[in-house]
Amino acid sequence: MINSSVQTFLPLKPNWFHILLSLAGGEQHGYGIMQDVLEQTTGKVRLWPATLYGAIKRLIEAGLIEESDRRPAPEHDDARRRYYRLTSLGRLVLDAECERLHGLVRAIRATRKAVTE
Amino acid sequence: MNFPGRLYRRLAQAFPHEFKMSFGDEMLLAGEEATRRLARQRGIAGFFLLLSDIAMRLPVEYFAEIRQDMRYAVRALLKSPAFALVGIASMGLGIGLTTDIYSSGWSMLMRTIPGTVNPSRLVTPDAPVSYPYIEQFHEQKKLFAGVAAVENGVQFNIGVPGRSRTKPERVLGQIVSPDYFSVLGVVAARGRVLSLELDKPGNAPVVVISDRFWRSRLNTDPDIIGQSIRVNGQLATIVGITPRKFDGALSLNPAELFVPTTVPASLAPELRNDVVLSSVARDFLALIRLQPDVTSEQAEAALDGITRRLDKNDPTARPQTDHGKRVVLLGAGTRVPLPRQARTMVTGFYGALMAIVMAIACLNLATMLLARCANRRKELAIRLGVGASRFRLIRQMITEGILLSLIGGAAGFALAYCLWVLNLQVRQPAGTPPLPDLAVDWRAAIFAFGLSVVCGIGFSLVPAFQSTKTDVAPALKEGAALQLSGYNRFGFRNLAIGAQVAGALMLLLVTGFLVLGVLNGSNIHTRFNQNTMGFLSVDPVRDGYTPEQSHHFFDRLPERLRDSGRIPFFAFAAQPPFLSSDDDGIPIVADSSHVQQSLVRETVGAGYFSTLSESLVAGREFEEKDDRDPSGPSLTPLILNQKAARAFFADGNAIGERLHDQKRTYKVVGVVPDTRDAGGMSHPLAFLPLTERDFLRPPAGGITIIARSNSAVDALNAVREAVSSLDPNLTPFNVQTLSEYLDLSRYAMRSALRTFGGIGFFALLLSAIGLSGVTAYSVAQRRKEIGIRMVLGASKAQVLRLVLREGVALVAAGSLVGFLGATVVARILASLTTAFGDAFAVGTDDPRLLIGAPLLLAGMALLACYLPAHNATKLNPLQAFRQE
Repeated sequence: MINSSVQTFLPLKPNWFHILLSLAGGEQHGYGIMQDVLEQTTGKVRLWPATLYGAIKRLIEAGLIEESDRRPAPEHDDARRRYYRLTSLGRLVLDAECERLHGLVRAIRATRKAVTE
Repeated sequence: MNFPGRLYRRLAQAFPHEFKMSFGDEMLLAGEEATRRLARQRGIAGFFLLLSDIAMRLPVEYFAEIRQDMRYAVRALLKSPAFALVGIASMGLGIGLTTDIYSSGWSMLMRTIPGTVNPSRLVTPDAPVSYPYIEQFHEQKKLFAGVAAVENGVQFNIGVPGRSRTKPERVLGQIVSPDYFSVLGVVAARGRVLSLELDKPGNAPVVVISDRFWRSRLNTDPDIIGQSIRVNGQLATIVGITPRKFDGALSLNPAELFVPTTVPASLAPELRNDVVLSSVARDFLALIRLQPDVTSEQAEAALDGITRRLDKNDPTARPQTDHGKRVVLLGAGTRVPLPRQARTMVTGFYGALMAIVMAIACLNLATMLLARCANRRKELAIRLGVGASRFRLIRQMITEGILLSLIGGAAGFALAYCLWVLNLQVRQPAGTPPLPDLAVDWRAAIFAFGLSVVCGIGFSLVPAFQSTKTDVAPALKEGAALQLSGYNRFGFRNLAIGAQVAGALMLLLVTGFLVLGVLNGSNIHTRFNQNTMGFLSVDPVRDGYTPEQSHHFFDRLPERLRDSGRIPFFAFAAQPPFLSSDDDGIPIVADSSHVQQSLVRETVGAGYFSTLSESLVAGREFEEKDDRDPSGPSLTPLILNQKAARAFFADGNAIGERLHDQKRTYKVVGVVPDTRDAGGMSHPLAFLPLTERDFLRPPAGGITIIARSNSAVDALNAVREAVSSLDPNLTPFNVQTLSEYLDLSRYAMRSALRTFGGIGFFALLLSAIGLSGVTAYSVAQRRKEIGIRMVLGASKAQVLRLVLREGVALVAAGSLVGFLGATVVARILASLTTAFGDAFAVGTDDPRLLIGAPLLLAGMALLACYLPAHNATKLNPLQAFRQE
């Protein structure tokens, strides 16, 4: 049941994948996600604000992420910020996507090996 | 803050409300931080990317919202299928009818001629002129880019050599100057069009055929170019085929054959007597293309001057003392050339018709949406209470309106399509000229779509605004049913219903006037059985005979007909009997009373009136010696009908009186009773005798032989045998019985009737739907009140009266307004065109309609109110209370 609903999200849209990946490391606010993604991809993928929040809105609607009520220490906090975290479904989907990508990479390696031998 | 920052903020604030509620602040924050860094890292390019991102996301977010609204609207409609069905039905009917009117009437008048270049620059004077005039027009190179001559509605006998179907057919065509196609800008689909360089007088005769001709009569033969066909018995080479759907300019009936003015007169008898050189033979229409910067007024003034100068040399033209305008230009780029004034009138008529139908349908939608909103008050209050914006709710409701009217629009387009297909089945009695292509096509589809979106938005606005004004607290407390807004006599709903009743009654009456008027008018009373008369035409000259041979033929024919012994009554004429003429005729002046009167003329032979079984009121009818004697230049015998006789001579005693026109002097020898023509009109008429000239060179329609016997078929067979016994090579044409002929002439009127009658009926249906919807709504609103009344002992009759009272008042007020409106509209229409005038004169006096239509409407309206009212009496008071 859960498995099948996970499969409907695959393959994940690149933006969604990057956001989920960033949140896998812990709760994060929107601008933080933007920075994470930039670092993860060594500056290649920049999620502009409107695109980012559009994606976050849809991820929340799909139930892959949710708003977190835990906030950092007041001196680091900004009242306007909202923090997001993965749901259990989101975690499953991210795992499944990683597995799928992993499978792809294995297949590519195998082919390359066959060609070089 | 710098400029990109401000712009970013603006854009962020333009996002949908719900999105802003969740992410607005954060997005602003992220934007601020991003702008700070971007300024350092990337400069201008960074700002550009940031702004283009937000600008691109904006419509995406809105689209997502609309999609959600749509989904919600679909669900809401599915939940109340009765409401949805009624809404869709009324929008469907409205849009379907409007689309039908649009594609049959409107676009026929408005659509430009297919295949032409820049058709708005084409104009034509409203009256025909002679060829030399057109050559003079042609000299005005500064004003006109081109001037072509067109003779319209010319009938040709066509034979295709080498085909099994050897019987010649008659087709409608045009005789055109060789530059006709270049003036229009039409290029050939195959072969070539006519041209001044290639088509010179004396060359072997050529013709251009229409695509329709090629497909229907030549089986789309791909090798037809260069082959010959027989035109009026003479061989002519087909040099080209016109583009698809091109049916000739200046012609309502599709032209299938285009014959250049350079062919010899043996091929086109219309060209004999050197009409191309004659300045008195006003046979041609001038088709003019204006130079790019020339206005229609300039052209009109110039043409007026030229015409006035040339008219000096023409004794038949209007006298020089007449300073009236001689030339009125019409636009020639559309299928029906209409003068500007008539254009406004006709578009006004169709526009008003469409507007009334659409208004009724839209008012239905609006009142129903309103009713529904009242029932959803609680739901709306809850949504407002938990923080939905009012704008959001309004948008939601407008989306529902649009959805309803879009589905209605689709249904309506289907309806229009069905009506069109039905019309195709019904139309086309044998022998009608082929119809122009008037399909319900993509233009009509776009029209229907646009109409439904506009109406959907327009007519859900008021209900949406009104219902979201709710005070949240009482609505939540009291529930849906008890928010009784006091009875508002001039509230939107009542006005809408009143307007609807008035509009429907107006449509019903106006269309009814037309229908009754035309039905009455088109019944022709004859003193003989209409199934016993038939007639056919022959034209020996067109079949390739010399004038002398033709004369000889007509000399011997009466004897043959008499000898056959099968035809007790027969007569010759230059036109079929009961011909309906739409021109005003030619002015004639009476010598004694000096009255000038325009008369339609018919040319008839000896024994014409006894063949029609009409006894003369006074005098005698034409005899054979009138036929044969050229009767000198002095006195032509003339017969008037009573209407004409009374117009000239107050006492109607006209025998022996003299009349004259520009050319001849006449002596009245007889007066006949008035008869109606096939269109139901009765004009003042003058009958002239057929003369030597007519037998030498029969008029354009040939000589018509009218015969009456025991049955029309017998009579026709006998005439045909007599003709072929004289000459087997002659081809009779237009062979028809009187009843066929009358059906044919009334068919245009009849099809108009079907349309108008249908519109009246559907309007009635629409307003009934609306009324019953609104009454049902008001009953639903008053359920609790009705319940209390019943518990307190109100009888069913009292409840019924309570509910009906409101409906009756509305219907009465609406009927009164509609009645007055219809009378005014009828007056206006009658004064605008004589065609409507005659019909209205009959129709407006008909008590059946004047009393019947309001009664019918009131009956339907009351039934529409009664059904929900009756339901109310069956209300179980306990249930009404429990609903809370």
